[in-house]
Parts: sequence; structure tokens; C-alpha cells
Amino acid sequence: MSTTLVIDSSTNKTIVALVSDGKLLFSASHDDPLAHGEVLPKLVAKALSVSNEIESVVVGMGPGPFTGLRAGIAFAQSFAFARDLNLVGVCSLDAIAAGKSDPEFLISVDARRKEVFYARYKEGARIGEPGVAQPITLTPFNLPIYGDQTNDFPDPLAMAALAKTKSHTEKPIYIRRPDAQPLPAGVKFRALTQLDLVEIFAIEKAAYGKEAWSMAQLKEEIAGKERFYLIAEVDQKVVGYAGAVKLADICDVLTLTVDESHRRKGIGRELLRRVLDWTRNQDCDAVMLEVRVGNEEAMPLYSSFGFIEISRRANYYGPGKTAIIMRKELR
Amino acid sequence: MSSDALVLGIETSCDETAVGIVSGRKLLANVISSSVEEHARFGGVIPEIASRAHLEAMQSVIKQALRDANVSLKDIDALAVTAGPGLIGALIVGTSAAEGLALGLGKPLYGVNHLSAHIAVDSLDSDHKLDPSIALLVSGGHSSILQVNDLTSDVKTLGSTVDDAAGEAFDKVARILGLPFPGGPWIDKESANGNPTALTLPRSFTLPKDLEKHQYDFSFSGVKTAVARLMENTPSQNRADVAASFQEAVVDVLLIKSLAAAKNSGIEHLIIAGGVAANSRLRQLAQERCDLAKINLRIPPTKLCTDNGAMVAALGSLAVAAGLPPSATGLSAESSSGISRPIWA
Repeated sequence: MSTTLVIDSSTNKTIVALVSDGKLLFSASHDDPLAHGEVLPKLVAKALSVSNEIESVVVGMGPGPFTGLRAGIAFAQSFAFARDLNLVGVCSLDAIAAGKSDPEFLISVDARRKEVFYARYKEGARIGEPGVAQPITLTPFNLPIYGDQTNDFPDPLAMAALAKTKSHTEKPIYIRRPDAQPLPAGVKFRALTQLDLVEIFAIEKAAYGKEAWSMAQLKEEIAGKERFYLIAEVDQKVVGYAGAVKLADICDVLTLTVDESHRRKGIGRELLRRVLDWTRNQDCDAVMLEVRVGNEEAMPLYSSFGFIEISRRANYYGPGKTAIIMRKELR
Repeated sequence: MSSDALVLGIETSCDETAVGIVSGRKLLANVISSSVEEHARFGGVIPEIASRAHLEAMQSVIKQALRDANVSLKDIDALAVTAGPGLIGALIVGTSAAEGLALGLGKPLYGVNHLSAHIAVDSLDSDHKLDPSIALLVSGGHSSILQVNDLTSDVKTLGSTVDDAAGEAFDKVARILGLPFPGGPWIDKESANGNPTALTLPRSFTLPKDLEKHQYDFSFSGVKTAVARLMENTPSQNRADVAASFQEAVVDVLLIKSLAAAKNSGIEHLIIAGGVAANSRLRQLAQERCDLAKINLRIPPTKLCTDNGAMVAALGSLAVAAGLPPSATGLSAESSSGISRPIWA
């Protein structure tokens, strides 16, 4: 009898099982998207109390949210090394697909940030590599979709069986690259002047449409007291701008805008960093900002600088347009 | 467990994947794999890049440490791992790897505090008394003054930075001056040719009105902004003079506060640890001022001042020697620097 320790941490569920000769000796899971690191050792300890004689280890290599995924893989690698056991990594989506009998279907699991990891299966086999996409882009396939939304999770028996086939995965399946990219060469930052207004107005209008500040508002804004405005430029062309104001004990980030064609390059992050450096020297208690509901993509950036959502204000940007108010303490 | 227990320590709180092995207070291995070169392109540490690099390097770093120490994994008596503070995604790679080893081997695991570990490294290959002492911990991620009553059970944070860590300020000023990342060694080098009194830069929280609220706290954003303004307004400034004056301002404040903490607590030992402890001006001025104040100064060897696994193993080893129970299975990694317990329950 040969017993396999099976681990998967690619979804919100931390899954641990012991599989022996195609049968489950032990199976447990815990549903918490933020606790894989803590929960996994506890579940494995329970499994070992059922049987401590482990002959091999199988781990789900994702795709899945990174921090939880890595907890499972790091644990499995160390455990296998400590006992000198064979470790096999399998694709977690394949382990969800194994239980489905439709001729063709999709597996998708939450990838956070309003996206899903997905893969297509036909006649029981995966077509190509897993990908990441917005859920809406999967609709045109017109296929049944299974995954965490339908309460389908990686099946330990399927994982143990997959490990015996040739479809092994040596490396974590990340798909997404790390968000951060080095600032493109040639990006410069400097204080905003009246001469930049025409270029800024164009970016403002393209980004916010009807809610954009008018030229007159922009002019008045940057001339205001206790304000700090700066721009990012590439080849002497303005590509982004940001500003903050000091209002008694609080600083407020008034705008952070990057031209569409220069987004996701780290320019917004650097603009925000510089604005926050300014706010720190204003002798204020906290800095606040408002985010449009629907623009939650920006929230991980703000969270990474320590902003926390404190409230929501209805109709802030016009009828039916809610603002999320975020705050970061300065003291 | 005997007093020369073999302890393997894992550190992944920032950008170094590190494993150290000690036998009691004897250092056997200290292996570090750093992703610093990847981060240099960004001018700072990117958490997701660091976490990926940790997982990629972890197993080979563990194996290299075992080879260096010339021991087999089966001989290890206990494990230790940094459980906080640090980057949460990075910490979890380390704690998960450590838990896997501990359950695989059936050996005890101690979750340890990164800050206390920086001080514990001073126990290696020496037999001097470790506590009570005042510790100045200065690195890219931390700037704290700690009162160490008992290294494994009672470490109090007297003060810490309210904004940038000292090492972070070095990085940022280096960037303003056009020097590479990480900035510490480059500012140190540049300062050698500069006049530290050429410019008067702010020394935050040293005025009587600030001392009431922030007696042992630091703030380095003021001096950094002062340098930025200066270089914007007069780009022709002598770079070496700016570097030397900046370094002098930071080092001055670090030591004023550390010595005040020693004096006010009546503790005669000062330990300086963390990456910034490698700074030559800090070492020199610390020695001068401690001599004057009759304070016994200790600074661990430079290679043990930056993040490493030996310091984690060292604190684990002290916990074993003190007879402390191991941490419960399922360590909860914590990013916050506010945690005060040296060993996880």
C-alpha cells in the first residue's frame, strides 16, 4: 500500500488529503482566502495522525492567487525534502476538470482583480495552456463553466491520478507577470506649471469624459493655496499628473491621472509616491482620497501605500456615481 | 535538548532568501540568495518579485546551508523561521517551507521576530552577555530603538520611525544624487570625499517640543525632502558634500536617541544591528560617543548585520537553550512592525 499526501492551495480552499490505492484515507479542507499558510500545517498534522507513512507528495501548482499558491508549494517541497520523497506538481485546473463528463467545457477560478484563471477542455483533455481573463470574455465560448463559482474544487483523487500520468508541472503556474515594472527610461517628474495645462486638459478629458475638470477649474485648482501638483513627462510630453491639497489637519489627494497609453508602467505609483512624500511634511494627521466605484483597479495601488476604505459617498461624481473614501494615517 | 542543539533558521521577510545553521552559539552555515539585483531596476523592493524569488531559491539555499555546515537534515534538532515583521507574501514562503520541514522531520519549530533576531546574531561565536541592552536596529525596512530585557521573552520597542526607515532614506537620497540602489554603501563611499558640515540639514524630533511625544522616534522624510529641494534649486551642489552632510544628519540623530535611551534606562550596553550598521560613519561616531558616555558598544560583523538566516537560527537556539516551548503548528505570519513578542506562541 502506498500513500500519497495531496495538497492544493490554489483556490480559497486549502485542501489536504491522503490517497492510497485510489482511495481517500483522509480528506480535509478549510475555506479562507487569507489563511493558507496557517491552515495547511494544521491540516497536514491531522492527516499525519491518521497515517504517518507517506510515500509521495502531490501538490497543485495553480494557477491561483499567488500568496496562497506559494504556501502550498513551499510546504510540499520542504516536506518532500525532509522525508526524501518524490514530489509531483500538477495543474490545479486539471484536477477540477477531472470530474466533468461534458464533451467540451471551461474551468475557471477566481484570480482576484475581477479576473479569472481559466482553461478549456475537450474530450477530457486540456486545450492549450491556462489563461487569465475577465469573466465576460468567456461567455462567447458558449460552454458550461465549472470552478469555484459552481463549488467545484481540485479533487485529491484526481490529483493523485494525474501525478501518475505525464502531465507534470515543475514550476508554479503564475500566468500573470508581477505588476511592477521598472519605470520606462526617460520618464521625468517635475512641478506642474501653467504651460502644461493644455496637455493636462486633454488627458483629463480622455480619462474622465463628462466628469473631467474644465480648463477654468484646472487653472483655478493649480493656483490654489497649500497645493502640490506635479507631472510626469516622456520626451517632453506630459503623460500624467497628480496633486494634493492641505486642508487643516488633513491632506487630500485631488487627482492621480495617467494617460491611457502610459498606464501599467509604474508612472502612477511613482506620482503617488511623490505626492505622499509631500503630504508627510505638511504636519497633518492623515491623507485621504476618493475613488470612483467602478475604478477599483486603482485600489490595490492605494492599499499598497496603506490607504484603507473608511466610507462610501453616494452621488459624489454625479447622480448614481459613488465615491469610495480612503484614508491613510500620517502619525 | 542539549545546549549545543543544531538549529536551522530560515529568513524571507524581505528580498533575501537566507538559511543559517548554528550549533548552540556556534555558527556553522550562513547562505544568502538575494533578489536585490532584480529590485535595483525599480529602485526599491517589489513584494511580488521577492516572493517569487524566495520560492525559487528556497530548496537550493537549504541544501547549500546543510552542505556548508556539513550536517544532514536528519541531524537538525529544531527549526526557526522569521514570522514577522516583513512583507507578508514573502514571510509566508518562509513559514510554509519551515512548517514543511518541521512536520516532515517531526522536529520543533520556533517562529521568531525578525527584529529580535537581528540582536540575537550578536550571540554567535561569543559568550558575552546579551541582555539587558539597548538595541538600535537600522535597515532598509526598520529603524527602531529596542530595550532588550530578555532576548527570548521581553523586548520592548522604545521608538521607531514614523515615516521612512533610515536605509530607505539612504536609498532615496542616493536616487536624488544619481547614485545606484541600494544607496547605503554608495552614500558611504561618496561621503568619504565630502565635508559633513558643508550643509545644515534638518534633524527631526530632536527639539524639546518634539521630544515629549517622540522621544525615541525617528523621522527621515524631512531631511530627504531638504536634499531633494536643494538639488532641484541648485543642481550644481557638490555631490560629495551633500552625501556627507546627509549621512552626518542621519547618523547624528540615530546616536543622540540611542545614547539617550541607554542613559535614561541605566543600561550600559548598546547593540547596533541591521544593514545600516555597516555604515562607516555610524560605526566611527558610535564608538566615539559610547567611549565618552562609558557605554559598552557592540556591532556584529557586517555580513551578519544585513538580513540573514544565521540570526534566525541564533534566536531559535537561544529559545531552545532557555527551555521555551516551540510555537504552535500553523504559524501566523505578521507584517506589522508593532509586534513585540520575540518568539511566537
